[in-house]
Amino acid sequence: MNKTELPLYELKVLEDEGINKNDILYVCPTDISSDGAYENGYLVLTRDRLVGITKKSESEYEIRTFVLAKYAHWTIENMVATNLLRAAKNAKDSGDDASQSKERDNLKDGEHVLIGACTNTHLEKLMELRKLIRSGAGIASQEIDPAQDKAKSNGADADSTDDDPTQEKAEGEDAGQEPDKTDKQPDGKNKSKTSVFFRGLSYFLRYKGHIALLAVCYILTAVLSIAWPYLSGSVLYDRILARDDSFLAAFGVAGKYIIAVILLVVVMLGIKVIQMLTAVLQGIVMGSVVTKSVRDMKKDVFSAIEDLSMNFYTSKQTGNLMTRVLRDADRMTEFYLDGLPYLIINSITIIVTFAVMFALNWQMSVVACILLPLLVVLSVKLRPGIWTLFGRRHRAESAVNSKVNDNLTGARVVRSFGQEDAEEERFVGPNKNLEEAEVRIVRYSNRFTLLYEMVQVISSIWVWALGVVMVLNFRSISLGVLITFVGYVDQLNGPMRFFSWIFRMWSDSINAAQRIFEIIDAIPDVVECENPIRLSDPKGKIDINNMTFGYNRTHPVLKNINLHVKPGEMLGIVGKSGAGKTTLVNLLSRLYDADEGEIFIDDVDIKKLAFADLRKNIAVVSQDTYIFMGTVAQNIAYADENASREDIIKAAKLASAHDFISRMPDGYDTVIGASGQALSGGERQRLSIARAIIANPRILILDEATASVDTATEKAIQQALELLVKGRTTLSIAHRLSTLDAADRIIVIENGRIAEEGTIDELAGKEGGIYRHLLELQNTQGKGSVIGDA
Amino acid sequence: MSKEMINVEAERPMATDTDKSKTINSGNAVFTKTEGGFIGMELDGKKYDRVKVIRLFPFTDPDKYMSVRDVMDGDKEIGIIEDIKELPEETVKILLEQQELYYFTPVITKVISIKDEYGYAYFDVETDKGRCKFTINMGADAVSKLSDTRLLITDVDGNRFEIANVLDFTVKEQRKLDLFL
Repeated sequence: MNKTELPLYELKVLEDEGINKNDILYVCPTDISSDGAYENGYLVLTRDRLVGITKKSESEYEIRTFVLAKYAHWTIENMVATNLLRAAKNAKDSGDDASQSKERDNLKDGEHVLIGACTNTHLEKLMELRKLIRSGAGIASQEIDPAQDKAKSNGADADSTDDDPTQEKAEGEDAGQEPDKTDKQPDGKNKSKTSVFFRGLSYFLRYKGHIALLAVCYILTAVLSIAWPYLSGSVLYDRILARDDSFLAAFGVAGKYIIAVILLVVVMLGIKVIQMLTAVLQGIVMGSVVTKSVRDMKKDVFSAIEDLSMNFYTSKQTGNLMTRVLRDADRMTEFYLDGLPYLIINSITIIVTFAVMFALNWQMSVVACILLPLLVVLSVKLRPGIWTLFGRRHRAESAVNSKVNDNLTGARVVRSFGQEDAEEERFVGPNKNLEEAEVRIVRYSNRFTLLYEMVQVISSIWVWALGVVMVLNFRSISLGVLITFVGYVDQLNGPMRFFSWIFRMWSDSINAAQRIFEIIDAIPDVVECENPIRLSDPKGKIDINNMTFGYNRTHPVLKNINLHVKPGEMLGIVGKSGAGKTTLVNLLSRLYDADEGEIFIDDVDIKKLAFADLRKNIAVVSQDTYIFMGTVAQNIAYADENASREDIIKAAKLASAHDFISRMPDGYDTVIGASGQALSGGERQRLSIARAIIANPRILILDEATASVDTATEKAIQQALELLVKGRTTLSIAHRLSTLDAADRIIVIENGRIAEEGTIDELAGKEGGIYRHLLELQNTQGKGSVIGDA
Repeated sequence: MSKEMINVEAERPMATDTDKSKTINSGNAVFTKTEGGFIGMELDGKKYDRVKVIRLFPFTDPDKYMSVRDVMDGDKEIGIIEDIKELPEETVKILLEQQELYYFTPVITKVISIKDEYGYAYFDVETDKGRCKFTINMGADAVSKLSDTRLLITDVDGNRFEIANVLDFTVKEQRKLDLFL
């Protein structure tokens, strides 16, 4: 499925070139020509050559053949949105295949040759192609299948391969045209609105009892609201006041008109009471369903977010994410519980009202309805205007909010740079915009309401006037019917107004629902494999083979890393900021997956390891420590809830944290974190070391663990770390080289590659080495500061 | 660096040489009340003129894990009492007396009235130490939850009051408290 199929016509052309379908190992589409125009071509890999086939016109194909043995250094060059596959002419080759590459034969040895180009759409395939070429596709074709399987099982590839079949089909069908550029969205995003609607509905329908009760309430409300005008109009005027004995006899009150009126009043009162009770009941039930379903939704979103990989957090602004999700959930609920039921009720009300009206008197109904279309036109025409204004206010509001927020969080910077006045001025603009937006809304909605109500009043008067004429002159209707009609026309206003905004609400809520489901459905990049291997007796051996990784696939941060660490060894990692040190250790605990190459822990591929085992055995003490809201003891025991108080105290002592903790009035019960007592950088650092000690991992990663503490504390922590490091595999990242004195081996990372490797003495003695240079720099710096202090 | 490293046992490291503080129990220490009203201690023959005994887990486990500190030497930790109940009764009395003073926190037993005005709440309560009136700032985090039902209230002056269990109060009292908690 992963494989691109060549269109039939191209296959035939290749056959003419002597390439059989069975010879083809891999096909990669190329959609950009060498001069940067769209084209429709393929790179076809066989055992010994790579064939570029490009469609020039209906029956004309350009064929370029590259004999694999004649080229070396197959490389993908990543441009901004395009990717070039190039190779260098092999120096060893003598060029016996002159017939197949005539024009390229005058190339100098080592000169770069452009093989093909594609947009990012096909980058994955191009990379796969290059991998196959590099791994020696020409040698044995059976090696290729496992390689492809691996690509499939790789979580990072999984979601991008999902949409491949559709793309291929599209290209296969209209092979003569330009490749399809727009359709890159995975299936999930193109889901129809109705399916989103029903999925959203399912959140509420699980509370069947409640929903049934609500339905009863709604129906009751609708029926009663229809009965009311009938009772107050027809029954009162035409039956009781008109002394219609035959009607009254049915209720046993023939002739007793006062009693009949009293009875009517009681019934009408009863109806009102029932209506109110229904409203109360409805409110209670609704409240409980709303809170419950919103709770469910938020739970789903939160658990989905917990499962997502680090990539999600680095690529999205998580700050807004949760507030956005919460607002979306509310909006969704609003529609399903406020909008949808009323949509049904109001539809029923309108239909039934019309039916009753026409049954009573059709002429009068025509008269009453004649102005209704005007209302519909009015709302359809004018409503959108107010929504644009609302959108405008919303934007103005968030501009003001973010300005305020910015100033509150950055208060220290604002003050220390004396920017208070300037900030006030900067606030004037957004604030003024908000004011204007508000004023416009008020103006517009005033006008709208006025117009709308005027039409309603006119239609009411119209019914009255014509009705009275009909009652007086033609006697075609009775007074009671007229009053009933007026009641019904008034009653129609509500539902009519409702319909003028329900459609907006519908599209809003569906969009909100879609955003929520997008998060719930997001596929984590890093997934645990199906039958993970458990590590029963971890040793702490690490092997990294030929690993390449980039946060953005086109720009690798780490390139071809090979690293082997023995159990219990302490490895120091040195390098400039941004060299990829932290990335390396992140890959080890599988916060991300490597793009190429493998990482083994105790000879097991970490992609096959159970998450629980992997992360239990790796503890990280990093430069940015996070303190959770809770007590000091809870924070230390984060990795092991069952740690005893004794363990906690011991860990704190080892991390030189015990003393400052016991000096706080509440000791280990002090609440820290978001709303609690503030800790200094060094104190947080020491807490996180204690946390790692409790975790008791086999592999310990120290990422600038002592970066934010003073020298005296660093000494104390160093001591603590030495104890902790004993018997564990330790990877220690440090800027201060003195931190790494105990390291068995040091690697220097530069530009994503391991530039130097060896013991401290070896590296320090290496003339012109990077480590030596750093060491010299820091030594002179150290002396300088001593002089400065004195 | 090769073979022996594989076999090294990496246990949770035990506090050893870096940890100079000792375990203090009835076997090695004698606490006495000093003339000045403080606590002195003799540990393994060494005399400390004045020590301070503080709780490491004042809320979750007040009677266990107490840190004994040498007041004369910058509150440096001398050792830890793991369980105060293992000490002689007389000693327990001395220590608890000092701690009552150190951790003075009246426990509210009855809510008489709570009024709020301009962001401050005025409490009038009955405590195990007697009747008490105090004020809290409602804007600040004056009330912290030690558990779902146990609360610690800090008034504007920094005094502490405890509510051992909210559910022990009458419904009427809970309703008064609800506004502030």
